[in-house]
Amino acid sequence: MEQDLYAEEFDLEQMEAETEAMLALNYLDRNNSTFRRTPGGFVSLDTEDKHYARVQVFRTFPFTGKNLYISIREADEKAREIGIIHDLDQDVDEETRQMLTEQMELRYFTPIIKKVKNVKEEYGFAYFDVVTDHGPCRFAIHMSGNAVVHLTDTRLLITDLDENRFEIPDTRKLSNKELKKIGLFL
Amino acid sequence: MELNVKLPQEILSLFQLRDKEEIRYSSPFDINRQGQFTNSSYGILTNNRLIIVEDRQIVYEKELAELSAMKCESQVNSGILVVTEKDTDTARHVARFSMKQISRFASIAKGGMLMMEGSRRTVENREYEKTCPKCGRALPGTRVCPKCEGKHVTLMKFVRLCSNYKRQFLQVALMMLFASAINLAGPIFQQRFIDDTLLSGHGNVPAVIRFILIMAVITVLSIITRYLRSLWSAKLGAGISMDIREKLYHRIQILTLSFIQDRRPGELMNRINNDSANIRKFMEDAFGSIFYQIVLMLGAIIVMLTISPGLTLLSIVFLPLAFSLSVGFRKVIHRRFHMQSKKGDDNNSALQDVISGIRVVKSFGKEQYESERFKAVSQTYANIQKNNEVFWAAFYPMLTFIMGMGIYFVTALGGFKALDGSLSLGQLLQFITYATMLYGPLGWMTHLPRMIVQMLTSLERIYDVLDEQPKIHNAEHPISREIKGDVVFKDVCFGYRSYETVLDKINFEIKKGEMIGIVGASGTGKSTLINLVMHLYDVDDGELLIDGININDYRLEDFHRQIGVVLQETFLFSDTILNNMRFAKPDATYEEIIRAAKMANAHDFICKTPNGYNTYVGEKGFNLSGGERQRIAIARAILNDPKLLILDEATSSLDTESEYLIQKALQRLTAGRTTLAIAHRLSTLKDADRLIVIDGHKIAECGTHNELLEQKGIYYQLVTAQLQMQTLKEDA
Repeated sequence: MEQDLYAEEFDLEQMEAETEAMLALNYLDRNNSTFRRTPGGFVSLDTEDKHYARVQVFRTFPFTGKNLYISIREADEKAREIGIIHDLDQDVDEETRQMLTEQMELRYFTPIIKKVKNVKEEYGFAYFDVVTDHGPCRFAIHMSGNAVVHLTDTRLLITDLDENRFEIPDTRKLSNKELKKIGLFL
Repeated sequence: MELNVKLPQEILSLFQLRDKEEIRYSSPFDINRQGQFTNSSYGILTNNRLIIVEDRQIVYEKELAELSAMKCESQVNSGILVVTEKDTDTARHVARFSMKQISRFASIAKGGMLMMEGSRRTVENREYEKTCPKCGRALPGTRVCPKCEGKHVTLMKFVRLCSNYKRQFLQVALMMLFASAINLAGPIFQQRFIDDTLLSGHGNVPAVIRFILIMAVITVLSIITRYLRSLWSAKLGAGISMDIREKLYHRIQILTLSFIQDRRPGELMNRINNDSANIRKFMEDAFGSIFYQIVLMLGAIIVMLTISPGLTLLSIVFLPLAFSLSVGFRKVIHRRFHMQSKKGDDNNSALQDVISGIRVVKSFGKEQYESERFKAVSQTYANIQKNNEVFWAAFYPMLTFIMGMGIYFVTALGGFKALDGSLSLGQLLQFITYATMLYGPLGWMTHLPRMIVQMLTSLERIYDVLDEQPKIHNAEHPISREIKGDVVFKDVCFGYRSYETVLDKINFEIKKGEMIGIVGASGTGKSTLINLVMHLYDVDDGELLIDGININDYRLEDFHRQIGVVLQETFLFSDTILNNMRFAKPDATYEEIIRAAKMANAHDFICKTPNGYNTYVGEKGFNLSGGERQRIAIARAILNDPKLLILDEATSSLDTESEYLIQKALQRLTAGRTTLAIAHRLSTLKDADRLIVIDGHKIAECGTHNELLEQKGIYYQLVTAQLQMQTLKEDA
């Protein structure tokens, strides 16, 4: 019985084809793909051979290359990659750039701290009162652990208790007063 | 987490609830369509509609009947609520929120789905808030905010706990009073000695000797009181913290598994060890001293007032100044040294990174690069260290000087008074001694608020566990009886969280003595099924009958004693093999132990160890292989002669030889007992009377090995997939 089981099960060729497909770097640009806004606030994609009612837009280098190598993925949980846009500023038209940027802004929420109003430290926690590019905000972080990560010497990423993230892109641009308030984390 | 947050009136007035319509779930959300933070936006789910209010305006409203799906999709550090509208089949995002609200919206979306499916179940969310919704303070892993709500309640509970120690408390308090009295008395005798004996002109040798004797007695008494004070405080602290530890441990033992699994293991260990130690430390360091210092300071002030009210006021005036100075200084020091320890951590982790990755560093030829990187980190650390030491050396003497300023003023003014004769020399000296008593404990007192808050936080965390009620408990009149081993599932539904169905309407009958194999992909609910049979969880819906009696009616301890369990992770306690086996049956005789070990194919290898059954196993003990540990676990499971045997992947990840031995052991073991076995390797289950395949929360297939193969369903696929893997391995 075991012998015929081997023979009929599992199409090895198909498995190999799928593996190959995962290895390929498939570039999307204005010539081979059309993105459209959906009424629900997402975007759809038509490639040469397929229509996707909704796609997800992922950054591959969210800190160091916001518009480079944008990965376009299927909308289900597996989120299989459909293709990559090499440079969003070059490879697609202005309207597409706009709508994909909107999608990425929906996906990535890391407010940039513009102004540090107050930082209060109390019993192992620090309470921030800040103004961000998404409006004023208060949040709390753990004093111990990795709540504040240095992406570079002057660029900070702060993770609060709820795991929201905030960014200070350049500490040199803060006033002396503000620097003093966050001095503990520099 | 509250899933039906109370809505403010201005939001409620935006829409009209219909007849028989009520709000089931509601939550604020904090990001608006423009991506800006907002604080007057709400997602509201009634039994009929979904309403989204953004910045005080209804921006979306839809009947539940017109929606086909509702989902909370997590994004990067935020989330969106996505609904699918039936008529156009489009997905639409209707609300956006930060991580603060994401868990709430995930539960609410599940609740919405349940309502759309016509289920009456409501969703609960057992997660705790991270920050207090009222005051915004971080919560120390507790339900209520120690600062806002719990303080008095917790303190009262603590007082009740302490009431067992009334006598010791009284002892310590009296000793404190006595110690302060003795300390206050010293300067009075000193003053008399100076004024009446030394300066009066008619002092004599017996008077000097008398003074020295008095001072000696005071010194001895003070030493004795200090000793007793420390001893009794320590006893009190140790006693209370032992009480707390025992209570916590007991509570954690009886609490339902879900409470424990919701928490990281370290967290509960922390609560038992660190939090109870915090209470002990507070009792030892602070509680005793608080009384002592307060009585001492008050006493000193009273005596000072009788000597010179004016000078006393002057001394007191400086107190707040010195106090705030010392608080300020402590803050600066704390900041500086916090920084130092942070940089120290950086230094350590850089070092650890390189040392543990040394093979990679060397093989890529990056030694020089890594050296320089480490040098930079190390340099910053050294600089901060140096600066801090300089700061400490420069500022600490200055601070002591400033804090002592009060005393200088007192001395100067007192000196003038002594010169013009309104104060005697003895009184001046006495006065200065008391003033030092006032200023001495200042440094210590600045720590006090922190110590109190730390103790309260620890208490809060402790009572968070102590107040938790176990979800499974004995019925009012529990039944104790020998079980035979018939198991019946009747419409059993279960999920670890109310919104996540793991098992849905399971109907199944197992006869006494049958061996049932449970098969299915990982995460389908196999282990959940046996968790229910072990009665570690209560079923949500339906009935689980053992010998025709509901499982809830059995006395828990009796029931658990009659089932034998071998789990995938064989856990052996750090103890001897003998004691590990006796864990199942403390009064087992040596013969019973050996018989059980023989049944489990464990007797042979146990005999070969130098200490036989007395071999110590566990962390520091004899090193057993996985197969050997497994066999001891099997022996432990059969020692009790259980009527119901549960094997959860008991033979996975073993080499072929030990698997064979264990297989053999299991064959003997399962004979005549109702057995439920989960196995990854399907070959393990070939002896099973029947197999059930779990898929999609339900029993998908049921029958013997051959019957299921003929069905060509899921089981058939699983078997072929395993064969395929085997051939792939063999080819390689």
